[in-house]
Amino acid sequence: MSDLLVRGPSEPEPTEDQERRLLEVTIGRSRRVRNRLATVWMYASFVAVVIPLGFIVGYVVAKGLSVLSVDWFTKPLAIISSQPGGGMAPAIVGTLVITFWAAAMAVPLGVLGAVYLHEYGGKGRLARLIRFMSDVMTGVPSIVMGLFIYTIWTLRFGLSGFAGSLALGCLMLPIVIRSTEEMLRLVPDDLRMASYALGNRKWRTIITVVLPAALGGIVSGVMLAVARAAGETAPLLFLIGASRTVNWDAFTGPNSALSLQIFTNATTPFAAAQNRAWGAALTLVGLVFILTIIARVVAARFSLKHQ
Amino acid sequence: MSLTRRGTILAVGALAALSVLAVACGSSKSSTSSSATTSGTSAPGSNYNYSGLSGTLNGSGSTFQLAFNQAAIAGFQSVASGVTVNYGGGGSGKGKTDLQNEIVQWAGTDSLIKQTDEALYKGGTVLYFPTVAAPITVSYHLSGVSKTIKLDGPVLGQIFSTTIKTWNDPAIAALNSGVTLPNTPIVVVHRSDASGTTNNFTHYLTLAASSTDWALGTGDTVNWSTSTQAGNGNSGVAQVVKSTNGAIGYVDFSDAKAAGLTFASIKNKAGTYEAPSVAGAAAAVASAPVNANLTYFALDSSGATAYPITSATYVIVYQKQTNTQLGNALKGWLNYLLTGAQALAQPANYAPLPSSLQQKAIAQLSQLQIG
Amino acid sequence: MTPPTLVDETPSPSPTDPERLKGLTSGGRGGRGDVVFRWVALLAGLFVLAILALIAYTTTHEAWPAFKLAGVKFVVGTTWDPVHNEYGALALIYGTILTSVIALILAVPVSIGIALFVNEAAPRRLRRPVVTVLDLLAAVPSVVYGLWGILVFAPWIQPLYQDVADACKGIPVLDSIFGGTASGPSYMTAGIILAIMIIPIVTSLSREVIATVPASQREAAYGMGATRWEMIRHAVLPWSRGGVVGAIMLGLGRAMGETIAVALVVGSAIQITSHVFLPGYSIAAIIANTFGSAEDVGRSALIGLGVVLFVMTILVNVAARSIVTRFDRRAQGA
Repeated sequence: MSDLLVRGPSEPEPTEDQERRLLEVTIGRSRRVRNRLATVWMYASFVAVVIPLGFIVGYVVAKGLSVLSVDWFTKPLAIISSQPGGGMAPAIVGTLVITFWAAAMAVPLGVLGAVYLHEYGGKGRLARLIRFMSDVMTGVPSIVMGLFIYTIWTLRFGLSGFAGSLALGCLMLPIVIRSTEEMLRLVPDDLRMASYALGNRKWRTIITVVLPAALGGIVSGVMLAVARAAGETAPLLFLIGASRTVNWDAFTGPNSALSLQIFTNATTPFAAAQNRAWGAALTLVGLVFILTIIARVVAARFSLKHQ
Repeated sequence: MSLTRRGTILAVGALAALSVLAVACGSSKSSTSSSATTSGTSAPGSNYNYSGLSGTLNGSGSTFQLAFNQAAIAGFQSVASGVTVNYGGGGSGKGKTDLQNEIVQWAGTDSLIKQTDEALYKGGTVLYFPTVAAPITVSYHLSGVSKTIKLDGPVLGQIFSTTIKTWNDPAIAALNSGVTLPNTPIVVVHRSDASGTTNNFTHYLTLAASSTDWALGTGDTVNWSTSTQAGNGNSGVAQVVKSTNGAIGYVDFSDAKAAGLTFASIKNKAGTYEAPSVAGAAAAVASAPVNANLTYFALDSSGATAYPITSATYVIVYQKQTNTQLGNALKGWLNYLLTGAQALAQPANYAPLPSSLQQKAIAQLSQLQIG
Repeated sequence: MTPPTLVDETPSPSPTDPERLKGLTSGGRGGRGDVVFRWVALLAGLFVLAILALIAYTTTHEAWPAFKLAGVKFVVGTTWDPVHNEYGALALIYGTILTSVIALILAVPVSIGIALFVNEAAPRRLRRPVVTVLDLLAAVPSVVYGLWGILVFAPWIQPLYQDVADACKGIPVLDSIFGGTASGPSYMTAGIILAIMIIPIVTSLSREVIATVPASQREAAYGMGATRWEMIRHAVLPWSRGGVVGAIMLGLGRAMGETIAVALVVGSAIQITSHVFLPGYSIAAIIANTFGSAEDVGRSALIGLGVVLFVMTILVNVAARSIVTRFDRRAQGA
């Protein structure tokens, strides 16, 4: 009831009886009912989201844990997919390697691009165009990115983990640009002015003052983009092939990835393969969560507000 | 920022760039490095020398032969430890497309290359190596019915054209006297990818059913009616059938058995209802005519105990192998498929090749031009 | 031996030295390092334009044979038959839109409810956990949603669908939407999974927008005796309408482009039907399932589908931006 009554700070707390009588007099029933319904709606929405999340995480953890073991992290993929056995080492290594190269390409380009947009471009026409196109690029469906890389790379150079990295890098690039630009915007201009006043050139200012100040937020944004890329499946479907053994070399030969393993194992009727899919899901979700937590910790620790 | 800090960053950056270059250059090292193998001169057959072979062979294609290939890969590992064989599945269509673009060294397919497509194969002439044969089961999920359902060509054609819509249709009941069929609607499940299994199954329907019962023709994909469902790969179809009451679909024998599906008995040309089995498939292959390029036709066989929907399956490779090391590894792999792996066929629910066909295939190995 | 100097006694340039002044007044600009760095940054920015242009050009070029073959029918034809080289994508466009609309219908009330919950109704202590739950939802990869959808959710909900279908039998409008033989993998299941996936996006953006509503607006509403719901309805929602609509459109864009989760649970059936419990297809899902084996014109056609999808998502994004700016202008003007 207290959400309906606005009370001054020094007024005494009314008794339940007083409250009820006051409300009945001042606020009509239909209004009270509507208010109550709205409150129910808001609480129910939260519950409606927690339930599926609970089920999904619950299933992934429960079914995935039964498959995890030391073998899981070290052995090559099972040769016979309908029987239990083998491990996920090739897929884990593949995901790490492919995501690494994607980040290695997207992060420098993205940070430099954001630097251009904020420090040099400002509100100019070119900068606005690049910003708009970057937004458009976030909307490119991941499968279209996969088709694009297939046409220009895989048909010429064959299957490789690097082709997957190219597609994932293209997906990460606009996200990195967006979040980095937001972070640069948060760096107060006073810092830049102070640096200029000491005689620093603009580029030195950016490298030595602005970027370090925004570093926490940039790293956080990058980690989130990396987490998103690690979970992508669609582009990898026809770019990286299928390798049964660990392949650290992203540039030669087919590779494997956790997300792909989940997909291929999910469309089989074999219990052993489906268990493998849950295990890979648990591994992938674990990896993504670790990256997300690192992102949050770095953002919190190096946040500008606290300095 | 002090000079030393900037210098460190530059040095780390240079090191990173150098290591990238090193990996990139090193990885493109020619794989003809140490291929002093003796196996190139070894005669094909049971006494093949696998010990000197090395390299990675990538394959993709038919999911019909997937279970056999996996068993063969496991066996090959123990005789030729220097060779890694990968098989990505994906359907006969994918295998053929990947081989066209030379993305893989070998492909599995249950259907033949169309004459109009032959020009698309960038590496030249393609050789067919038959490896095994197996039944295509008509698997179904019908709760409440414990007896095996009997079906024949015409009724199958009508079911898969969705002309017959429920399980207790009089046409089905006529073949299954004594079985109470429920009123469950039939859910037809087919392949969503281009599939040799589809090709062989639809080919059987074209032969065994009249053109009114089955009008959709033959092909890696056909224009299925809109009220059907699709699965990805043989195992995908098996999964849909297993989880949907009333579903019926075509699945290779190995996957159907591994998934615990129920399969129908199909009337063969001699008039007997045959359940899918390795023996039934072997009987169909034994009486099948073989072409010069080693492709053969086992569908709707006239043998008395033959299973009518028996499918051949092949490994296709280019006749000309430009890379010596990989070419020798490929020859060894093919030899193994035709010799040592044949013993692995039956336990994996496939029919091995009859010895006459096996000998012809082994002899075809010498047609490979390596190097 | 001269003693070490503690103070640097070299004469410093005078404060009005022109070299010194340049550093102070030009904002750090000038000098070769700056030119180089500016160009490097500019090139990085241009890279985005270059990639996007390359994507647009390559995909359209590859898709051209199929476009030429089918003409306008590519977008309005209803038969998608690679066997006979007939490419009409309407069924796939329909499926994409239908699953996305179902997702929006389910996700929007929940997302706005949560956004309001976090900003208005939740006790302070609950805010952090709610945000954490949303972050966790957003972090789950889409393929895991698909896995759970096909192995757990679809088999579980199919009997429920059938019950609803049976209950709606004979009722005019409801039967054509909910009737028929229900299938686990269906438009509805795909829509539900998509809804779960886009809720975090729509919620977090709506939450940010709603949080910017100035306290003065809320207090004015309370001052006139409004209940909390009335305050939300008359003060918060009108102010944040533009941003919320923008958030919804972004969720729509994400739902249309989602590939793997939909491919796993939509049922892979090419058809146009109003029955949501029947299996269907979407553009991204059919590309994912059939691209590996497509050759020649078939492959061009699938890339063409990709182009169509790309154009659709661009239109949604552009519409979102224009709606946001229009509402913002109106709100500020009002």
